[in-house]
Amino acid sequence: MPLQVQDSGLTGPLGSLGSLGSLGRPALLAALAFALLGLTLCALGATRDRRDLAAAGVRAVVATAVFVAFATFCLLTAFFAHDFSLDYVASYSSRSLTGPYTFTALWGGMEGSLLLWTLLLTVFAAIALTRAPARRSALVAWAGAVLCGISIFFLVLLAMPANPFAELASVPADGQGLNPLLQSPGMLIHPPLLYTGFVGFSIPFAFCIAALITRRLDDSWLRATRRWTLFAWSALSIGIVLGGAWAYTELGWGGYWAWDPVENASFMPWLTATAFLHSVVIQEKRRMLKVWNVSLILLTYVLAVFGTFLTRSGILSSIHTFAEGDTGKWFLPYLGVMLLGGLALIGSRLDSLRSENRFDSLLSRESAFLANNVLFVAAGFAVLWGTVYPIVNEAFTGVRLSVVPPFFNRVFAPIGLAIVALAGIGPLISWRRMSKGTFARVARPPALAGIATMIVLAAGGVRSIGALLALGISVFTAAAIVGEFARGSRVHRRREGSAWLESLRRTLTRNRRRYGGYIVHLGIVLMVIGFSGNAFKVERSAELAPNESMTVGAYSLTYVDHSSASTPEKEINEAVIAVSRGGERIATLRPQRNFHIAQRQTQSEVAIRTTPAEDLYLVLTSFDADATIVLRSFVNPLTWWIWAGAAVMLAGMIVLLWSPAPQAVPGPVPVRVRRTEVASR
Amino acid sequence: MTTKQVPRAARPRRLKFAIGGAVVAVAILGLISWAMGRPGSTSFYMTIAELQAEGPSGVAGAYRVNGNVVPGSLEQQGIQTSFAISDGAGRLDITTRQPLPDAFSTAYDNDPAAVEVVAEGRYDGQTLMATKVLAKCPSKFKTQA
Repeated sequence: MPLQVQDSGLTGPLGSLGSLGSLGRPALLAALAFALLGLTLCALGATRDRRDLAAAGVRAVVATAVFVAFATFCLLTAFFAHDFSLDYVASYSSRSLTGPYTFTALWGGMEGSLLLWTLLLTVFAAIALTRAPARRSALVAWAGAVLCGISIFFLVLLAMPANPFAELASVPADGQGLNPLLQSPGMLIHPPLLYTGFVGFSIPFAFCIAALITRRLDDSWLRATRRWTLFAWSALSIGIVLGGAWAYTELGWGGYWAWDPVENASFMPWLTATAFLHSVVIQEKRRMLKVWNVSLILLTYVLAVFGTFLTRSGILSSIHTFAEGDTGKWFLPYLGVMLLGGLALIGSRLDSLRSENRFDSLLSRESAFLANNVLFVAAGFAVLWGTVYPIVNEAFTGVRLSVVPPFFNRVFAPIGLAIVALAGIGPLISWRRMSKGTFARVARPPALAGIATMIVLAAGGVRSIGALLALGISVFTAAAIVGEFARGSRVHRRREGSAWLESLRRTLTRNRRRYGGYIVHLGIVLMVIGFSGNAFKVERSAELAPNESMTVGAYSLTYVDHSSASTPEKEINEAVIAVSRGGERIATLRPQRNFHIAQRQTQSEVAIRTTPAEDLYLVLTSFDADATIVLRSFVNPLTWWIWAGAAVMLAGMIVLLWSPAPQAVPGPVPVRVRRTEVASR
Repeated sequence: MTTKQVPRAARPRRLKFAIGGAVVAVAILGLISWAMGRPGSTSFYMTIAELQAEGPSGVAGAYRVNGNVVPGSLEQQGIQTSFAISDGAGRLDITTRQPLPDAFSTAYDNDPAAVEVVAEGRYDGQTLMATKVLAKCPSKFKTQA
């Protein structure tokens, strides 16, 4: 998919500035100085109860962010001015690299990635601290101290082992160019979004540590950081999906997720963060699960940094590994301090973290939330175990092995389906307790819809048990969620006499948090429908001379023509494939196999015909001098639903982020809330 | 969290939750160990000598071997590719019907004598029938600098 990104017009002015590369390192050192100052001021302000010192500390954090932003700007100008005296610029760009992908080069390597990480961290810290609701409290002062501490670690990395402004002794005439795989729209947004997610969790983490230190363990720290948690989680979710979309359209192996260690590294914090998003609701509504919540945010933060450690250390082999330098070893002590320090702090505050309520019944919404949490953490543990098992096993037995995708699919499919089923059950159950009879009554319609789906599909010839279960459970959950929207709208309709559409809008806007969440769930359900398509995947490869044909699934593919062309960047070889089904020509696809001259790299550009039912996915794996090709073809059913589900999820996230921050509740929530009342609140 | 403070009536409920929690924990650990034990969940790294000493692999055995492609050994017949790899101590023939990754072609075009691959598949006593061939991306980005 050779998509063109338009030049935003921003690149011209940047290029005309000349290189400010020599100012980058002084700017980073200044940022480090301000971070140290900020740490001192915030810590003094917090311990001596000096509000003026804490406020000055926050201003130092803002200064840190400004200097890191300036350093990043300097590196960008160096890229646009092709300043190859900088090792980093020479390694990840060339004279032919211009336009928007020059931004991609910024995070094309480790040093630049760490700079981007630090930039996001300091900017988020500055915004969170200056905008915190109770700006002058000890909570904010301590959070500032923690965020300064974290920033200092990354700034020291940038100053010592991972200096993006290191200079070359002799300036090369041209750079080595940016990996063409990274020159894609997906790579323009996937890494920054993932980093936004990873780094965004620093804010709730810092406020959580601050709450533990100050023993202010009511839900004020949760409320102060709720938006940040949602924001980071949304960015991470979309970042992960975009990574999958990028792999699908660029890497040419027909899939979107390979359980690669680095993919897992982004997925583990997502799982614990998702658990956290759910369990904070319990703490806000029922003042329970406090230890659990502080542990989850600690775990999420540590796993996010652990992911960076995995990619940077080269400890696991992966297509993502930068595997260079010894920056990885810096992360291990950092992670150890964070994890053990965090656990010790939680341990010393157990008395302040006691639940103010108890679970009343196994059949209650609290229990459903709890089960959801257990499953998410279990899924996270399973992924962690599969990811680190090769290291553990080699350390103890000396046998080198690798854990391959079937393990993850086997573990994850049942846990994932149980989670999806819970997303359908949860909304049906009331808080505190519910009688079995009432539950059976409300659960019957969606359950029947799910069972009917399975019967129809089985009668239609679907034999995969996994796919039947996945689709049945998806329909159950979707029906339950749609039922909730219908119930909410009916209440508004009855009470206010408004039209259906208006009632639906009111339902959504009166309780954005609840119904926004349901929209996200609906998106997940659609994605699960897409995942279940894997059970019906078909793959075929064949060698074709011009005018020869092959079949894959119901498609007949004829190699009708080919063309070759040259541009300054690459030599293009394109095959023209006529696609027909049932004797009727339905499409023409043009997969390419190109040679990128500067990088001396061969790369296939896949051609995809997408429909909601299935994708036809073609890859040229070989293109000979006599124009004989080897064509690899896939039929990927239902893949479209993954991207559609992600779009629905994004809509839900926007609703959630746009909802007002929850107000402090003076006491525990009213005892028994009836279903209709909850729906209308 | 101490039992002292729990009223009498809450105890059976708490027991229920404890049992429920234990059942879930056991089920999940069971699931993980079941999945880990199934054939195809893990593949073992071997040297060429170890693989040849081990002999033909059974149904369960998928092995991973790495080495450098022997220059001049690459042969393409339709969608089947054969080549030999060497790790200095031994030589192993590999056949695959899977397309070779782009990184393989890139490395081969740059220097046919320096293509490092990891091949995974079954060994029939003479040839490794690879279901997966990974090529180490030539890390030109750093090593040349």
